[in-house]
Amino acid sequence: MTVTADVTQAAVPGPLPVPDPDVAAFLYYEARLADEARYSEWEQLWDDDALYWVPMHPEDDPRTRLSYIYDNRNRIKSRVAQLNTGNRHAQTPPSVMRRVLGNMEVLAADEETVTVASNFVLVEYRHEQRTWAGRVVHTVRRTPAGLRLAGKTVHLVSAGGPVNTLAFLI
Amino acid sequence: MTTTETDRPAVEPPTPDAFDVASVVQDHRVHGSVYTSPEIFQRELDTIFRTGWVYVAHESEIAESGDYLTRRIGSEPVVVVHSKDGQIRVLLNRCSHRANRLCNADAGNANSFRCPYHGWTFSNDGSLTAVPMRDGYGTEFQKVRSQLGMAEAPRVDSYGGFVFASLAPEGISLAEHLGGAAKAIDRVLDLSPTGKIELRAGWMKHLHHANWKMVVENNVDGYHALFTHASVYDAIRPAKVSHIPAKVDVVVRDIGSGHSEIDYSAEYRKLDEEFVWYGRIPRAKLPDYVAALEDRHGPEKAHDALVVGPSHTLIWPNLFLAEMNVMYVEPIAPDETVAYTTAVLVPGQDKLNQRTLRRSEGAMGPAGFLIADDGEIGMRNQAGLAAHDPEWLELSRGVETDVIDETGVVNSDKSAETPQRGFYRQWASVVGQEIRA
Repeated sequence: MTVTADVTQAAVPGPLPVPDPDVAAFLYYEARLADEARYSEWEQLWDDDALYWVPMHPEDDPRTRLSYIYDNRNRIKSRVAQLNTGNRHAQTPPSVMRRVLGNMEVLAADEETVTVASNFVLVEYRHEQRTWAGRVVHTVRRTPAGLRLAGKTVHLVSAGGPVNTLAFLI
Repeated sequence: MTTTETDRPAVEPPTPDAFDVASVVQDHRVHGSVYTSPEIFQRELDTIFRTGWVYVAHESEIAESGDYLTRRIGSEPVVVVHSKDGQIRVLLNRCSHRANRLCNADAGNANSFRCPYHGWTFSNDGSLTAVPMRDGYGTEFQKVRSQLGMAEAPRVDSYGGFVFASLAPEGISLAEHLGGAAKAIDRVLDLSPTGKIELRAGWMKHLHHANWKMVVENNVDGYHALFTHASVYDAIRPAKVSHIPAKVDVVVRDIGSGHSEIDYSAEYRKLDEEFVWYGRIPRAKLPDYVAALEDRHGPEKAHDALVVGPSHTLIWPNLFLAEMNVMYVEPIAPDETVAYTTAVLVPGQDKLNQRTLRRSEGAMGPAGFLIADDGEIGMRNQAGLAAHDPEWLELSRGVETDVIDETGVVNSDKSAETPQRGFYRQWASVVGQEIRA
């Protein structure tokens, strides 16, 4: 991942291109699967070298700093398997959620991958309504089998904490 | 007055401190109000957090001169600072002038703290060094000025790098307070080739919608895992050892003074297998670490340290040594607690540390496979307490099989509520004390 600290700061110069429609559609689909707790379908979006990361600070180096979530492909599989048991108490029943993904900007692109930064607002209802928001950076890969998710980094506005339980797919 | 003194019943005049702790904590049960009552919550702040030792920080977080952290002791905001004279101080985070909170960052490095309100400036040893436009004060002020430093926790001490403070000028020493629980810290340090650990990976701050005691007493509850955490064992991996008490030599222990633990060491020694507590990885995966540990301890003791692993111990009132994680809690309100969690890092062992970080994220914090569910169960516990019948919570499991030995009160059934009984015995003795006005 070359894009880390820059995404939440002003280091990216000027206006940036919007993603191609198929990439945007893929990201909306990812958001919808997460919102609707369609865990296994969501898991299928991920490529083998996946990284699903929710850092505590945008500039953190995960080699030396703890993150809220730092899932490789195996850990994503475990996370989904746990949710699928129906006994993941913190998501039983699952949160009712809707998120809005906007301000999409392409940070980097080559023939194979495109890195898109977006803002998001997520409304979660479970016992009470909560709002989550932040900057999300997706790395999407074009493969013969279609678009695949290689990376998703979520910089929460509230990352400084304290944060509520985050057992759903953010 | 027509009656004499002796005719009257011998009743003490009611005092503002008529709290009867026996009305809420009895031998094997606690009253629901200990988790819900605002008065009892305030009383905990005034007793547990104002008279006793409370964990505040780890030395590795403030290793350099000028390093500081902002923390809380109960409800009191404090600055834990490595002062320029080398001493670690715990200063109350308040300007002595008009009470502005002086330090507003989580952490930083500064020689002095300057109040942004009127510019009063304090050295990082707490002394007042500058009062702008001082001529505006009269001679009476100049007489007391030297007393206007930042207030300081009168007692600060550390053990194995863990820094504790007490807001009371007098009381038992930290060593007396820790007692047998010091061994739990030693057990973690035994896993480091340098004999030291570092808590420098950052703290996850997780909001729990439960009373702080729900959060901490759950940490040494050996009964819940099979139910609360069934989804982990079903979906991901079996528990490290069986949950069936008869099959394992896992004990729970009330160490005394409110400290307690789940101790796997006998079971691990019986298995005589290294790293059972660490995903059962073979030592060949961490050759540099194992070699360094053998350099420190010799092969035999290094093997034993790697077999028994780190402790799973609650240090009264707010510190939990969670194997290769450390958690401490801050009570916010009767039904709200912040749990802070970080990973135990071993100096110079980057490969081990990266593995530990990933394990910590997997288990702990708001998205952790374990703690997210503990948080949910704690919230539901708090919700259940709104029902007032039955009034009491039962903590009697294993009371007839508790055994007293030189390490404390031990029960060879890890699902026994021995740790919780020890916790509430301490709670009753501390919260039940007379509060001085």
